[in-house]
Formats: sequence, C-alpha cells, structure tokens
Amino acid sequence: MRMPSVIVGQYIPGDSLLHRLDPRTKIMLSLAIVVALFSVHSQWSYMMIGVLVLVAVAASRVPFKMVVRGLRPIVFILLLTFMLHLFMDPGEELFVVWRLRATREGLALGLTTAARLILLIMATSLVTLTTSPIVFTDGLEKLLNPFRVIGLPAHELAMMMTIALRFIPTLLEETDKIMKAQMARGADFDSGGLITRAKAMIPILVPLFVSAFRRADELAVAMEARCYRGGAGRTRMRQLRLGALDAIAAVGVVAYLTAAVVLF
Amino acid sequence: MEPIIRIENVSYTYEGGEQDQVEALLDVNVRVDAGVFVAVIGHNGSGKSTLAKHMNAILLPTRGDVYVLGMNTRDRSMLWNIRQTVGMVFQNPDNQIVATTVEEDVAFGPENLGVPPHEIRRRVDEALTLVDMRGYEQAGPHQLSGGQKQRVAIAGVIAMRPKCIVLDEPTAMLDPVGRQEVLRTVRRLASEEGITVVHITHFMSEAVMADRVIVMDDGRIALDGGPREVFSSPDALRRLQLDVPQVTELAFELSRRGVKMPRTPLTVKELAEDVDALLSGRYAR
Ligand SMILES: Nc1ncnc2c1ncn2[C@@H]1O[C@H](COP(=O)(O)OP(=O)(O)O)[C@@H](O)[C@H]1O
Ligand SMILES: [Mg+2]
Repeated sequence: MRMPSVIVGQYIPGDSLLHRLDPRTKIMLSLAIVVALFSVHSQWSYMMIGVLVLVAVAASRVPFKMVVRGLRPIVFILLLTFMLHLFMDPGEELFVVWRLRATREGLALGLTTAARLILLIMATSLVTLTTSPIVFTDGLEKLLNPFRVIGLPAHELAMMMTIALRFIPTLLEETDKIMKAQMARGADFDSGGLITRAKAMIPILVPLFVSAFRRADELAVAMEARCYRGGAGRTRMRQLRLGALDAIAAVGVVAYLTAAVVLF
Repeated sequence: MEPIIRIENVSYTYEGGEQDQVEALLDVNVRVDAGVFVAVIGHNGSGKSTLAKHMNAILLPTRGDVYVLGMNTRDRSMLWNIRQTVGMVFQNPDNQIVATTVEEDVAFGPENLGVPPHEIRRRVDEALTLVDMRGYEQAGPHQLSGGQKQRVAIAGVIAMRPKCIVLDEPTAMLDPVGRQEVLRTVRRLASEEGITVVHITHFMSEAVMADRVIVMDDGRIALDGGPREVFSSPDALRRLQLDVPQVTELAFELSRRGVKMPRTPLTVKELAEDVDALLSGRYAR
C-alpha cells in the first residue's frame, strides 16, 4: 500500500479569470448555481446552466479531465438514481428488461436528475480547483463572520481547517512510516478478509493517535507562545479585495441564472 | 539595568495525579542580561525545558517569581507583552508550524499582535532574509528539510521583534547539516541582531559558542559561568552526567600527563594554537 505524497486540496495553480476572482465571489456564485439547479424543472433551464458551467470551465483553463475527475466518487450514485428513475417511474412504456419496465417519463427525469448532480459537482469543484486552500479558508472565514452574532465560531472553524490542511501531509507521512515499521516486523496489511485486515490496522492507528494528540498539545503551546488568542484583534497579512472583475462576474452570473429560472 | 529575564527563588512542581508529583525546579535563581548569549545544558530530565517555559509565562512558578523586563509573569495583563518580548522555539519543528505555507506561518505571530498588513509583509520578508529562507515563501512545510523548518520557526519568532529568544533544543531532531544551518542562524541573531539568546542544548560543542553556560542538574543550577570556566572541571561535568567537549578532554588528558596547557581550549582551533605555541616554545629552547 502506498500513500500519496501530497493530496492537500485539488488546487491547480494558474492565472485565469477564475483564479483571479475573490474566493468569496466564487463560493457565493457556485452556491447560486446550486440553488438555481434545484429551482428549475425544464430541460432548457438545465441546458442554460450547463452552458454557464462549461463556459466557466473554459475560463478556468483547468484541464477538462481534472473537472471530470471530481465526478468519479459519485458515479455509482449517478447510475443508481438514473436506473431508479428509468425503471420505477410510472408512464409510457419504452422497453422491458426481465420484469422491469422502463418509461419515457422515467428516462427524462433520470437524465435531468443526473444532469443536476453532474453540474452541481462540476460547479463546486471548480471553486476548489481554482482557489488555493489558504485563500479558500480566508474567504470562508470572511463569509461566515457575520454569523458570529448568532454564535457561529467563524474564526475558529477557519483556523481548524488551516491546521487540518497543514497536518494532513505530516500525518500521512507518519502513517507511511508506522506501516513500514510494522511491515518490517512481519505485519501483513494486504491479505485476509475484511476483519483480518481491519485488525491489522490497529497497530497503526494506536501510535498514530497517540502521536496526533502529542502534536496537538505541542502545537497549542507553540501557538500561545506566539501570542495567539483567538480571532479578536488579529490582523491578516493577505487582504482579500473585491474588484471590478468580481462585480462583473457576480452581476453577469446572477442575471443569467435568473433568466434560466424565470424564462422556462 | 533591569535584566531581560530575572528568575527569583523559583520552584516548580508538576502535579501528575495523587502521588506522582515531580519537583522539576528547586529554588532556581538566574538573571539573563540584555545582549548575552546563554547556553543551558544538563542531562535529560534535569529541568531545562521547565525552566525555559517559565521565561515566557507558558508555566507559572509554584513558588518564587519570574520577571521579564520587570514584568511579573503572574501578571495576566502583561501576558502578551511578555510573550512578545521573549520568543520561543521548540524542539520538534513539525509541531510548531501552524500554517500551510512558509510566509503564512512567519506572518502568524505579527498577525496575532494586530500589526497592519503592509508592515507584516515587511517583517516577513526581513525575517526570511535573516534565516536565509527567501525564495521559499510559498513552500509547504512538508516540502522542507528539518533544518529549514526550524529556521522558518525562528523567522516566525523574529517577525514578532522580540528582545530575547529562547530555543529549547532546536537542533536535537536535526541531521548534522540541519544542525549547522540552525546554529549559524542562532549565532547571527546573537552577534548581528543583538538579540539575547538562551540556547538549550545537550551538545557540548554548541554550548562552547555561548558567552555564558548554565548547567542544570535535578532542578537546580549546578554550574554557571563562562564556557572556559565551566568546562575546566571535566570531573564535575561527568558527575553531572555530561560529556566534556573532545578538545577540552584531550587538553585535560595532556595536562594530567604533565604538559603545561596555558588555558582550557574550547575549540579545535584553540587547541591547535596552544599545542603549536608549546611545541615552538620547546624547539626554540
Ligand atoms: N508535563 C509533565 N508532567 C509531569 N512531569 C513532567 C512533565 N514535563 C516534565 N516533567 C518532569 O519534570 C522533570 C524535568 O523535565 P524537563 O524540564 O522536560 O527536563 P529536560 O528538558 O532537561 O529534559 C523530569 O523529571 C520530567 O519527567
Ligand atoms: Mg527538554
């Protein structure tokens, strides 16, 4: 078993229009697309939103392959929902397989549901593909800040995300090291049934957890020694700035989405 | 003049459950004056880290008081002043880097102090220059060597503009190359930047570079003086379970066999000079 050396985010550095947008703009607009996807029913609306997403992919200069890769985890769900619609929805018969009756209405609904899921994943993964994790967390913190009045710990959430991102590679490296050490002592992680293999993981997880807690402890002391005392009174070196590009993108996309929703 | 750090009659006990109390410090008195490079040595568990953590209010004494530029570390209202005055670098470079890129991490301290953004940028650039890490601004911590990570940690403290920096065995987990990089940086802080340095180490060769060496033993200060003074009694050091620098040991063996050594040499260069002087003296006769 091999561990990927770097898996933090799927960010692809670049200088495209999408890369230059403020993270807040990107997060909000991808949310707007999601909302639009759930408030339309006509296939013409889906078509319009699809065109928008494809234009965004082109503007991001991210290889199409990378965008599609985001769909891999949901392939099974996609197929399942499509099949369920196709064979379970009542309506005019298309064809029969064994005892299952496919309907024209089911086919239409199955296709739109699949399209909805595909566009949703593409629109949201476009955000993480064009935004570095740090900038993304900064944007998220800024967006969540207003909800502090109702008790949402915006700064703390962002800090947790940053620390998680920071320590994922470290912990992966450590897992790899522990596994190799256990294998050198004759441990076998690749054979046996599910339960045998799960049992083989215990000697890895225990030292990993122990070390993670020790790290957390030391990190907390180091942060306090550097005067960390929560978000209050803290400034940031990198300042997020909304510019003309953000205004144009926001107005353009929102107008287009509104049209897609109300026209059909 | 008020010293940077004044530790007065400090004792500290770790409370670990019912009976396991560990008396890690016993009636310790230390003054660290501004601009001095102090090394602290001592065997494992002698209380070095505990002492270090008292210097910027990470730990508060069980008895006695610690003052940083006259501010008592018990005074909560001075806490952030104290931590800005005395910065701290720890042993494990991995567990003190907070952010996902080098520049973000160096900016972390100044950000906590509420420094304006453009000023943070300036300080980050300066600090990275000082530790020879310019060009690595965007690198992730996992892409750096141990020595580089430790220098980033030092830059993170320097960016807070401390008067004093306490390093708790910063070289213990590094390979020889990383060790040299970090030592060069520490020496530069002391000699060029005028920062007071408290360098905790178990390498005798590192203690030799200091102006003053404090030797800890079971929570007490066993020896305190210039490196030549401290290393002139190898037997005392051995009793404290410490090694003697090799050159010093060699000179000591020579003098035990009747060679008149003019001083306690601390470096290979010093020993070579002394031996050279002795030999040329003999042949001149
Ligand atoms: N968190 C702790 N809880 C209990 N005992 C501790 C703790 N940290 C250190 N000690 C004990 O205090 C003594 C001094 O430790 P420390 O200051 O870490 O020494 P050094 O840094 O010189 O190795 C040791 O006996 C150690 O076991
Ligand atoms: Mg220690």
